[in-house]
Amino acid sequence: MLTLKKGASRVFIYFLEIFVIVISVFPILWVIMSAFKTNGEILSDPLALPTSVSFDVFIHLFENYNFPQYFLNSLLAAGVSTIVSLLFFAMGGYVLAKYRFPGRTLLFVLFTVTLLVPAHSKTQPIFRLIMNLGLYDNLWGVTLVYLSTGMAMSIFILRAGFMSIPKSLDEAAIVDGAGFMRVFWSINLPLARGALATAGILMFLNNWNEYYFASLLTMSDSQRTLPIALSYFTSEFSYNYTQLFAALTIVVLPGIILYIFAQEQVQVSMASTGIKG
Amino acid sequence: MKKKGIKPGHISNTHWEKKNYKWIYLFLLPTTVIFLMFYLVPIVQVFVTSFTQWDGFNDPVFNGLTNYQNLFTSSSFLISLKNLLLWSLIAMFLHVGFGTLMAFILYQRKRGWKVTRAVFMIPNVISAAAWAMIYRFFFNNDFGILNSIIRKFNPDFEVQWFFSSPWAFWAVTFTWLFYAVIVTLLVLGDLMNIPQELNEAAVIDGAKGWQTIRYIQLPLCRNAIATGVIASITSRITMYEQISLTTAGGPGNDTMSLPILLVNAVTDYRYGYANAIGVLMFVIGLIMMGIINKAFRMNESDY
Repeated sequence: MLTLKKGASRVFIYFLEIFVIVISVFPILWVIMSAFKTNGEILSDPLALPTSVSFDVFIHLFENYNFPQYFLNSLLAAGVSTIVSLLFFAMGGYVLAKYRFPGRTLLFVLFTVTLLVPAHSKTQPIFRLIMNLGLYDNLWGVTLVYLSTGMAMSIFILRAGFMSIPKSLDEAAIVDGAGFMRVFWSINLPLARGALATAGILMFLNNWNEYYFASLLTMSDSQRTLPIALSYFTSEFSYNYTQLFAALTIVVLPGIILYIFAQEQVQVSMASTGIKG
Repeated sequence: MKKKGIKPGHISNTHWEKKNYKWIYLFLLPTTVIFLMFYLVPIVQVFVTSFTQWDGFNDPVFNGLTNYQNLFTSSSFLISLKNLLLWSLIAMFLHVGFGTLMAFILYQRKRGWKVTRAVFMIPNVISAAAWAMIYRFFFNNDFGILNSIIRKFNPDFEVQWFFSSPWAFWAVTFTWLFYAVIVTLLVLGDLMNIPQELNEAAVIDGAKGWQTIRYIQLPLCRNAIATGVIASITSRITMYEQISLTTAGGPGNDTMSLPILLVNAVTDYRYGYANAIGVLMFVIGLIMMGIINKAFRMNESDY
């Protein structure tokens, strides 16, 4: 009786594990697989494996459409905004963690309470701000908005990171004659690299994948990021299925590859904030 | 805060801080500018102009509660509220329920649990726009997987999942329903923090497996579960790509949501109206958060 029950619960556990793996991976594998099939093959049997492996469609996409440009745009918008805002929020998080000064608690509360405001509800003012700055339909406008998106959680993660660095290290450096900048740059920043990686990867992933503001703030082909290009592409070429699946593959793969290399940080950071999902 | 090892008065903490005030505030400057530009000013603007009629070219004109009245008499808004309520309930019970179940499954640490945890994350690391597109293809009538499997049994089967009532609502729901990895990670984190003695004590007291879960483990992860509920409901309030790129709110208003209405209002230059929707998104979020906080007694500590 007991072994039967044990066996049943084991089956249940494995069933659910397999279910989760299937729903998480199968749709993506299907997309990648379909990119290697012809239109006819896709229509006649969506589940069949491709008969041959040819990268022509990817080459075609990169040569005939602006995919290198979109890729570069995504990399630029997500990369620049992540590096700059990581530096900004590290500076802010550092002094909030290690120094006492008038307004410290107020600023920390103000910065982190913004987590309660959904970014979407600020759409109109941000739209107008970017218009007034003359950055509408300009990748830099999108990049500027991305600077702000991870503020609350980055300050949170980075402040906690700097707090865990012992103050005695700072004091030792000060005794040795180090100035404020040296203490920050050479002592604290290198020791906070775990928190920096966590916040940075999370911001980069979010900005790399961002669709909402990029779709509102850009118009022309040359300013599109990958997710935007994808949505235009699918509406314009809705009958060339091979190309659609190939385009989708190009958009999806970089994020997955980044995740494979930084699994630990991604899991920690997503769980520590509970932002997405 | 002074450490013993350092001679008193040699470098007192406060002295060092006072000497460096200009550095401290300089370091806070960029974050403060971002906060003002992208948070404080926009939020104030949203609240104030939600009581005005404003087309973006002329100055806003105060019109009291007109925008809100218009909203609560507009059928697309009421339907999006109804959708939000239904989606929130589904998120709370089924989505978070499934995420929690998976956390308990992974907590058993049976073979493959780490792989499962890692793989479960993948849908969350790719763009929500791409994920919506994948599901648009998945549910496609001509070459989608679902219909071609069904047609193996019933060759005449034809349903445009995203474009016909009532299926569209459920097709949109399906794009996020089981992808509850955030909840799973949150709950799993709390489960792993339960002191081993507590589990052992329960076994010694004669608790059966499910009793340990029901009376010890489940109550101890209620903070994680509540956080998961809040996160998933917040995502329902701001759900955009999954709708915009699949059904665009249709058929009719079947899958209408607040962000879709908001974007439509912004592109129609009805800024006051758009901001009234923004205010309501924010207020609904706060109310939900308050209710869940209370319901799960989140602020009480356990150990």
